[in-house]
This record gives sequence, C-alpha cells and structure tokens, in this order.
Amino acid sequence: MTVLILTCEADVTADLVVVHLNASGIPVVRIDPADLTGGVALSGEYVHGAFRGHLSAGGRLVSIEGLRSIWVRRPGAPATRAPVPSPWLTEEASQALYGMLRGAGARWMNHPDAARRARHKPWQLRLAQRCGLPVPATLITTFPQAAREFSERYPDLVVKPVSGAHPQDPPRAVPTSRVAPGTDFAAVAFGPTLLQRRIAKRADIRLTAVGDRMLAARKVTAADTDPEQVDVRFAPSDSPWQPADVPPRVAAAVRLYLREAELAYGAFDFAEDTDGTWWFLECNQSGQFGFVEVDTGQPIARSIAEWLARPGPERRSQINGTNTAVS
Amino acid sequence: MQPFALNYARPAAELQATIPYIYDSGLQLNVLMDGQIAARDLALLRELGTTTSTAGSKTHFDD
Repeated sequence: MTVLILTCEADVTADLVVVHLNASGIPVVRIDPADLTGGVALSGEYVHGAFRGHLSAGGRLVSIEGLRSIWVRRPGAPATRAPVPSPWLTEEASQALYGMLRGAGARWMNHPDAARRARHKPWQLRLAQRCGLPVPATLITTFPQAAREFSERYPDLVVKPVSGAHPQDPPRAVPTSRVAPGTDFAAVAFGPTLLQRRIAKRADIRLTAVGDRMLAARKVTAADTDPEQVDVRFAPSDSPWQPADVPPRVAAAVRLYLREAELAYGAFDFAEDTDGTWWFLECNQSGQFGFVEVDTGQPIARSIAEWLARPGPERRSQINGTNTAVS
Repeated sequence: MQPFALNYARPAAELQATIPYIYDSGLQLNVLMDGQIAARDLALLRELGTTTSTAGSKTHFDD
C-alpha cells in the first residue's frame, strides 16, 4: 500500500521523510493539488455500491483504496496551476480530490477537518487549559477598554496575530511583539487583537509530537538577548536547538491535547520560565520540523515516515462524523 | 483604521540565498546540480533556512 504526500515541489522538508520511506521500500506518491488538471489527474467511479478511484502524477498511478496513509504537508490550493485557473475550478478540484480521499479509509496526518479546527488559536488556548497545560493570561478583544484594563492587570504584554497569518498586500510579517507601557489601545476596535502576558523566558521549547512519540528541543535565551525580541522566529540567535526531556506532566497533557484535537502530528511551542515551567503558546498542526532535526539530530523525519508506513488499525473520529484515523 | 496588531508589522523577509536544488519528479525529491539529493545535505539546509519555522509563513498558517 502507498503513502500519499500532498505538498508543493519546493518542500525540501518533505524530502527528509521521502528519503526514509524510500529506504524502507514503502511506495510513495507525491502530488501538489495545485497541479490538478496539469501534471496531476484523478478519476473515481461509484458503481454497483462500490468505489474505485485513482490518482496519477509523474507517470505514477495509484489506487485511492490502496492508500495506507495521507500526509498533508504544504499542498497548494487545488488547480491553481491549471492552464486556465479560476476560483470555481479550485473549488471543483478541491471537492473532487479531498472528497474522494476522505472516503479512502487511509490514516491521515492530519485530517483536513481536524487541521482546520486546530488552526484556531483561541480554540488551542482553551483546549490547552482543559488538558492542564499552563497558558499565559490572554485577552482577545475588539474592545479598547478591555485591552486597557487587561494592560493594567498585566503591565508586561505581547501582541500577536490571532490567526498566525501574515498580511500579503504588501507582504509583511507580524511577529509576537512587546507592547510598550502607555500604549494607545484605540486601534483594538479595528480588528480582533490578541494580548498575552509576556513570559520572562529562559528558553524556547519546540515539542514535536508524531503519533505517540514526542521529541522536544530547547533553545536557550541568551543573557544578552534584547528584551524587545520575544519571537524566537525573528530573533537573531547563535544558540542551537538542543534535545530536551519532556516533563511527565507535560507529556500527559500533550497526549490528551492530541487525542482531543484528533491530530497525529503537532508542533507545540512553549516558553520556559525561570522556574522551569513550560507555558503553552500554540500548537502548529503542520509546523516545520526540519530546522530542529538539523540542529539536534532528533529523528523527526524518520518518526513521521514510520507513522506513515504503519498499517495500523483505523479509529473513527467524531469530526463532522467523518472517517478519520488518528491513532 | 489600521488594526492594532498591524502596528507591529514589518516587511516580510525574503530568502537571501538562491535555492540550489530543483524538483525531480522521477525521484519525487529535490536534487542539487550534481544530482545529489538535497535532503541529505543537512549543512546546506541549515545554511539556506528553507526548513525553518518562518519558511512556510507566506502561504501557510503553520510554522
């Protein structure tokens, strides 16, 4: 049976996993849904009470019923590289592809419905609380007065996008940023704003969970780090990521989080404070992992390949009553 | 009328280096000019930063 990988061609991080699958002799088909009707073709028929479907790409033909797992990595929007793209064609191609794949009975990393839900940061924060993970005091609001009052209770705040998305017209990045004392919160009325108590951190933690396996890495905050630089993704640093042990209570909470979120993969970000507490910041359901593996040598790609290669029994989920296998 | 969070926006960083590999649809892998598999060169991946947590930010929510 075949592993299907949905990702763009330039995704060299996916290559790390393909290399392991190839070494194990596991058949792989890698497609970018953006190439539908161009380099990628599909067909499925529902006849006499049965379904037979196929995908074709790069001279490979795979039966949809013959898929053991589907890895949704960095897929393009369906049919956006078609000869005559259009929003209508993208919707048609999306429904055809993902509709057929939803019925495949394959294991997903991660199922699209679980992935969509898991991207909501407010939902993440609540789930983390319910799972027993420490969550910094957070406010999401469009009320300037609520923001002012929150800043009086928690004078040392950061602001970050609610969605994690970055504006594209023109392309800009919105890093987690410190809010200066006396800041005017009037503009909170013009868009939902996420304010969070800043954690005085001594390290950043990236915990990559692959099925039941957890691989944590730690990046020490240098003593001379500019206190205004709170976002590790944008802060220049010579400190490498290093392997870290996962405290048992955190491990249990993360397992519960993954089970509740119906995720087979999650990249958790924590801030480690001076007491050693790991404060939950977010869980990226398709977070990057190559940069951690490159620094630490942790076998993340191999773990993903092993998860994808596993036949494993299927477990039905509750997400919209669909056929999700997450175990 | 600009949302509060956009007061903290900065120009998006572009990758400085030219990507020295190209996708091989036969292998389903990116390969370097000499035919070697790019993913086997971890030092190169570190240098390019193409696997870092901001690499997917332009088109994807998940870092």
